[in-house]
Amino acid sequence: MSGGYRQQPGASGGTTRKDGKRVAGKQKFPPPGSGGSHPNMAPRDLDWIPESVGGNEPQPAGSHIHDRYRTGTSVGKPRALVDSHAKVTGQAWYGDDVRLPNEIIGKILRSPHHYAKIKSIDTSKVEALPGVLAVATGQDAPNTFGVLPVTKDEHAMAVDKVRHVGDLVACVAAIDEATAMEALNLFEVEWEVLEPVFDPRKGLEDQDEPIHWRGKYHVGKTNVQKRVFQEFGDRSLVEEPSASSHGKWRMEGVHHGFTEPHAVVAHWDPNGRLQLYTPQQVPHYAHRALSTVLEVPMHQINVIRTFVGGGFGGKSDPFPHEMCAAILSRKAGRPVRINFSREEVYWINRGRHPSHIEVKMTADEEARISGFDIDALIDGGGFASFGHVTSYYNGVLATAPYELGSFHYTGARVWTNKPASGAMRGHGAVNTRCAVEVGLDEMAEQLEVDPIDLRLANLLPPHSRTISGFRITSNGMREALERVRKGSNWDEKFRQMPLGKGIGIGCGFFISGSGLPIHWDPNRFPHATVHMQIDMDGGVTVHTGAADIGQGSTTAVAQVVSEVLALPIEMIHVRSHESDTSPVDLGSYSSRVTFMNANAAIRAALDIREKLLNAAWEMIGYHPDVLVLNDRRIYYKHDPAVGVSYLQALHKAQEDKGSLIASGAYRSPPMGGVHKGAAAGLAPAYSFSAYVAEVDVDVETGLISCTDVWAAHDCGKALNPLAVEGQIIGSCHMGLGQVLSEKMVYGRTGHLQNPNLLEYKIPSVHEMPNVTPIIVESSDPEGPFGAKEAGEGPLLPILPAVVNAVYDAIGVRIRELPLTPDVVWKAVSAKTRSLDGIDPTDLPAPRLTHSPLQATLVERGTEHKARDKKRQRSEDTSAYVNGVLFGFDPEIPMEDQVEGWRTAVEPDPEQLAELGLAGKAWLKQEQRHMGGEQ
Amino acid sequence: MMLMPPFELHHPKSIEEACEMASSFMELGESFDWVAGGTDLLPNYKWHINVKKHVISLAKISGTDTISMTEIGAMARLSAITESKDVHPLLAEGAAKIASSLIRNNATLGGNLCVDTRCFWFNQSEDWRRSIDWCHKEDCGTGSDCRVIPNQNTLCVATYQGDLAPSLMVLEGTIHLIGPNGSREIPAEEFFQLDGITRNVLQEGEFILKVTFPENVSSRVGSYHKLRVRESWDFPEAGVSAAWIPGDGTTLRVASTALESIPRLHSEQVAKLAGKFSSTHIKDLSEAVMKSIKPVNNTTLPPRYRKAMVRVLAKRSLNQILEASE
Repeated sequence: MSGGYRQQPGASGGTTRKDGKRVAGKQKFPPPGSGGSHPNMAPRDLDWIPESVGGNEPQPAGSHIHDRYRTGTSVGKPRALVDSHAKVTGQAWYGDDVRLPNEIIGKILRSPHHYAKIKSIDTSKVEALPGVLAVATGQDAPNTFGVLPVTKDEHAMAVDKVRHVGDLVACVAAIDEATAMEALNLFEVEWEVLEPVFDPRKGLEDQDEPIHWRGKYHVGKTNVQKRVFQEFGDRSLVEEPSASSHGKWRMEGVHHGFTEPHAVVAHWDPNGRLQLYTPQQVPHYAHRALSTVLEVPMHQINVIRTFVGGGFGGKSDPFPHEMCAAILSRKAGRPVRINFSREEVYWINRGRHPSHIEVKMTADEEARISGFDIDALIDGGGFASFGHVTSYYNGVLATAPYELGSFHYTGARVWTNKPASGAMRGHGAVNTRCAVEVGLDEMAEQLEVDPIDLRLANLLPPHSRTISGFRITSNGMREALERVRKGSNWDEKFRQMPLGKGIGIGCGFFISGSGLPIHWDPNRFPHATVHMQIDMDGGVTVHTGAADIGQGSTTAVAQVVSEVLALPIEMIHVRSHESDTSPVDLGSYSSRVTFMNANAAIRAALDIREKLLNAAWEMIGYHPDVLVLNDRRIYYKHDPAVGVSYLQALHKAQEDKGSLIASGAYRSPPMGGVHKGAAAGLAPAYSFSAYVAEVDVDVETGLISCTDVWAAHDCGKALNPLAVEGQIIGSCHMGLGQVLSEKMVYGRTGHLQNPNLLEYKIPSVHEMPNVTPIIVESSDPEGPFGAKEAGEGPLLPILPAVVNAVYDAIGVRIRELPLTPDVVWKAVSAKTRSLDGIDPTDLPAPRLTHSPLQATLVERGTEHKARDKKRQRSEDTSAYVNGVLFGFDPEIPMEDQVEGWRTAVEPDPEQLAELGLAGKAWLKQEQRHMGGEQ
Repeated sequence: MMLMPPFELHHPKSIEEACEMASSFMELGESFDWVAGGTDLLPNYKWHINVKKHVISLAKISGTDTISMTEIGAMARLSAITESKDVHPLLAEGAAKIASSLIRNNATLGGNLCVDTRCFWFNQSEDWRRSIDWCHKEDCGTGSDCRVIPNQNTLCVATYQGDLAPSLMVLEGTIHLIGPNGSREIPAEEFFQLDGITRNVLQEGEFILKVTFPENVSSRVGSYHKLRVRESWDFPEAGVSAAWIPGDGTTLRVASTALESIPRLHSEQVAKLAGKFSSTHIKDLSEAVMKSIKPVNNTTLPPRYRKAMVRVLAKRSLNQILEASE
């Protein structure tokens, strides 16, 4: 037993058992232990204390405001997630594990039609079936809801018409599943079938009966749900480019493919309050929507988030089946459970939008990127969901990490008679990112330069502003690129491997927490609030609404509290399951949890810390400025023997007050521009990533196997490197699915043809490449201990990296995702035909001889590297806005120094003729007062 | 809907008992299915596809899982065939490419041969099939049309996606059947019968007992190439087997699977070589095999692509058996 300072209050020493384990001695203060099985304080580990505060932890990106609260306890140490024991032992309670006494089973009657009016529903036979306890139809709950307050277009069940096959028509609850299923066959519904729309391009046209009325501002008589126009910069720069890339992409819709199907249990308790158990990413949205639909005040509803068996964005909407369970339960007077089959999961969907994306890019004679011109038509399916935001993200999240001469975006989201698209990991940014990164690869080829050097010479520096007005703080893009280049041995492989083997690069840029809390004014309410409570036992209970969906948010919150208070993580108990006990929180979406909740948790912990230090000050007479927190003990900096245990300080602090309680909140700083849509894509920080992928392509069959990935992600500071690596590897897997094999197939008749996990082809472990995760730490000034997101951004680069690698392997550029073997084969066949029908095995592999421009780029990249380092470490704090690379002055507004510099959110009349596919939505006039909610 | 519909499961202990059981159900006019490993039948049941009142399991009948070079019992597990040192390497290779290791632990040779034909208009939940107003293969009494090739409700074009059938054909396997009316033997290539509903020659009450091979089967060199999106567990989208006794072109056999409602032995195309086989013939033969098949659009990958791939798979199989013979 090593020496140290005793933790327990009380004087007497312990004994040592025969097996060597120490047993604490009798204590004057009986019940509480020290909070750890080890009776002595562990020595302070300087390796986990940053340089800036006297430790040994290197800080190449500079110091951080939270450095002085580091105690070396938890931050930066790889550790298993706190809920991992529950999961690996099968004790985690997912949606389907909740079992309430007297529970009955609910089933949903679903539409067999794509688009139809309900003329009547006769439920008399259903009600007559023995064992049926409740029946409900759309008329029971006509109020609309939706995840975004601006687009409430959903009902618990169809009120007047159904909008896709699988849409909810009615529901029934019965004593068991078999009876409920039998009951479904007894509904008699009279339909009036309407003409459905499946092709989003058709959705731009006028229709007699649009799928929804857009309320006050309907766009013509079309199915356009949202249209966006944004133009920034100097459009004259794109004239006479030195290189250009013009690609039209077709991306299929993909689904999250989470393991756990939706499951919900609703129960009205004896006091008439609704208790709803559901695996939700955002219990608060469900809470609000339930209140609206059921016409019950929010305080009479308790939403209990079960463990979530994967969400990835697919469990962040309030769902109609949650309403159905509550309605049935209210009618039957018994708890009602509704479990989904996999087919139903696909029918509720909310996956990534099927997209038509057109990207025109240009570079000037110095290989500066003079323009991005993006047009994205996205297929929203039957409901709005998050689509309003997705419509913006498809454009605005392409405005970094590169410095642009101009940016032009037209986007439109249309309703079609298919299951609704929504938010999915990498929300809105994934598809355009892929198109843009592939375009860069093509421009690099035209300029005869290395695509990595092209990127390195065009990056926005840390602490800068994008062309659309986003505020970039920390930025590890350069380091990420450099590290994957080195790790993959890029310079030895690119354009040098034999036919069929290829290597490619792709970058990513993503928000770390949406700057706008959808439901309230960020100036009035904080984004996140965390409550903390410590009682005599010394355990810290943290209340947060952060929804752990497997990504480890509970662990992140526990870690930062453990770090600030220097307590073992076992002493931190995070309670986040019930809306009754957790502060209002927007849950897990937009990669906000670590950034916002951990920041709020740090603030609450600092409050507690201050109280503890003041108590210690009173006890030992040293001012808090010279006190150190370390492993359940507070002591004088220069003599660790002079100190008190954590519990002694706690009990002192508790005198007269009882338990210590603190509350912390996070709100984002004011930021962003003032133009319409300026808030979309705003975030307090952004993550950056660069991946290199290596592939084997079978030129005859078109089968692609991704063999290796070097994945560098800038997460600011890895609070838990194990979790960050897990997110990187998991993102690779998910992105690989989208680029290689996953797609929601709508056949000739518009039916979703593969609503099951055999035909919806998620890569298995066998298809997984060897992924080398590389963590880049740029230390974000506002992130908790410097951290940014790592949950979504890491997905973006894998798609373009693979597509570019396929080009390197076979010299064929394919702009259709996923790259299923038939798609590759078709492209290879077209290429061989154009080469006089040569055998595919004789295709020429692409090669590269550098042009003189390469040296210019390397030189510029080196200069920028020095520039970035100074800015990162705050040695250079001058302003930097997009445009400096083109010779403009960052201090003067661009409009004042460049003639023709535009910030426009609506097309000029003369532009209308030349807009792309989605831009055509702007040809229609808005019509007012057409009914509907928006 | 993942709730299994109710059925009665029977466990005969001997072949005789199984045949008696079948004939008594037939006399009573009761419908029944055989089940071996259940990896095909039970998922279909969960989708409420062709559910029968009775299911007779062959699992408790002893002696039907033998494995040797010349004889494999119908109840031999695919994992056992994969791992066996006694079977022909082509069968071990073919079995190893079927589904996943978990499924192979349960699935059997007999079950794989009798695997139901598949179609994305058919292998769907009940709600889904209702939304297309059913299909010809499972019309639920509505007389529905085929959804793959509309306006013909006479033929089912569901695709047979078993992996072992072509290898059995090129190894000259014989399938032994037994039923209430006694036993019979039939060459593997004659076992399968159009269309996607009829599937094979099995009469009601009949089941596969075993598969046998000629004494000289071990001298055959074979190869099987399978096309699929995920190597880990997907059904074949196309598959070509080839085998011969090295040096003897008259023994060359080529068969394909997963392209039509039944697997096919391509004897006509091989016959054109007139008993000769060398690397110079591979291109034409592969081309001819490709031209002889007509896949339809009812599996994951489009038919045009699957057809084109038959040439590649055939080429690779033929190349491989030539190389292995050198």
